[in-house]
Amino acid sequence: MTNLRRWLPVAPAALIYLSAFALPVLFFFVLSFWSARAMRIRRDFTFDNYIETWQKYADVIGSTIVIALQTAVVTTVIAFAFAYLIRFRAGRFGLPLLFITLLTLFGGYLVKIYAWKAILGREGILNSALQTIGLIDEPLNIFIYNSGAVIATLTHFLLPLAVLPIYGSLRAIEDDLIEAARDLGAARRQAFRDVVLPLCQPGLLTAFALSFLIAAGDYVTPRFVGGTGTAMIGDFIEQQFSLRFDWPMGSAMSFSTLAASVLVIVLVGLALRAGVRR
Amino acid sequence: MNARISLAIWSLFGAAVVVFMLTPLVLLVLFSFGRNALTAFPMGGLTFDWYRKLLTNDTFWGAAENSAIVALSVGVCSTAVGTMAALVLARLPGRISNPLLLQLGAPVMLPALFIGVALMSTLRLALDLNLGLPTVVLGHLVITQPFVILIVHARMVGFDHALIESARDLGASPLQAFFTVTLPIVRATIVGAGLIAVAVSLDDFIITFFTIGSGNTIPTLVWSMVRTSLDPSINASATILIALTMGMTVLALYFSRYRG
Repeated sequence: MTNLRRWLPVAPAALIYLSAFALPVLFFFVLSFWSARAMRIRRDFTFDNYIETWQKYADVIGSTIVIALQTAVVTTVIAFAFAYLIRFRAGRFGLPLLFITLLTLFGGYLVKIYAWKAILGREGILNSALQTIGLIDEPLNIFIYNSGAVIATLTHFLLPLAVLPIYGSLRAIEDDLIEAARDLGAARRQAFRDVVLPLCQPGLLTAFALSFLIAAGDYVTPRFVGGTGTAMIGDFIEQQFSLRFDWPMGSAMSFSTLAASVLVIVLVGLALRAGVRR
Repeated sequence: MNARISLAIWSLFGAAVVVFMLTPLVLLVLFSFGRNALTAFPMGGLTFDWYRKLLTNDTFWGAAENSAIVALSVGVCSTAVGTMAALVLARLPGRISNPLLLQLGAPVMLPALFIGVALMSTLRLALDLNLGLPTVVLGHLVITQPFVILIVHARMVGFDHALIESARDLGASPLQAFFTVTLPIVRATIVGAGLIAVAVSLDDFIITFFTIGSGNTIPTLVWSMVRTSLDPSINASATILIALTMGMTVLALYFSRYRG
């Protein structure tokens, strides 16, 4: 009884978690085995949606994984270097840098993507700036509607999110520990490899997983700055719900992508562990 | 000499990342005051016309009202619910609380599209509910409560629980102990966590898009402006959105006296 009363304050949070996340995800999974004909949902049991997903969208899922992988690697590397700078190198500038990171974390998802469209577009800020200073005569088409634009945009809004877990890991490393390693004769590079890197491995993996999953599921970025060569599955999933009303198909596509993404993250996690152990 | 080169490289790198993070946003704010109807150089003279146009538009005020209703409801509920959970979790040993924190934080790690369509399908197909602002609030609670729980939990982990024990020994009820001992000490953190929840709610586009049915919030309005027209007041509405969400974050960091 007293035990129950101790847990009571968690109940509202657990209720929200269950009613608006866990159970909907479960229902959404069941939905992937139903079917849709002429915009009506039929509650039967079929694997057709999954078969169709792999027949029709395997290449899109593949290209999504490639873009998400490139984005997550670029984001994690920059985030690691930036978090390292804040923690060990920036001194009194560390706090302002962290402040800027937090500032851009919670604001402007849509605004950031739109900003990149405005910057990189044919009639955009970059082209007009280059024309104004006389570097080019005609606007260039090379900035937007390619994978570079998609990766830059995704990296831009994922970077603050990736910095935090890595910084959290780095902050937990005591200065004494690194000094001890140095006192015992480790060169700076050795101390970095044998002390810092292994201890921030969880932060690195969290940052990578977050960036990868969110990049793989984004549909606004490819729609704004992506082109014909950068088809991403989020775009097609969204269309199943907003245009085609084939929700079971959209569900099967979502779970297929999620499964593929989790597989990639597990593999990267294993590779990271093997690499750091060496 | 080596140290000086390394310092130069680190400074250059830090500056480059800050420029990368801030420039796109700064440019939008800048162009929202430019006379040129295209978002391109030359900007033209300084003007407030785009703001005037936006602020005399009923659609914008409808969206702003919806955003305010949702963000305030989410802020209040998420703060209360998240704080209660965090207080209990902070008293448990890490081997029990850490998996629970990870579990409750799962919605933040998944793409918003996944959460949005899963929630919408359940509401429409399984429960046959109509979509509207209450369903938007529900969706936002799922993605904001992890932030409140994590922030308050982080503060409570270093909290001296002996203080509460003494209050209880002196005859205070658990609620009295909370309001007279715990709350005054962690109030700033709780306010900060609540403001972060408001910022996340104000900023959310994807979950709102799938759970609102009809009507707009400021982000869905920005979305429809970007998609349907090259209306130059897009920059003005984007700037208002940046000001609102970043303003909340600044307030949150100020209240919780953020020290890293």
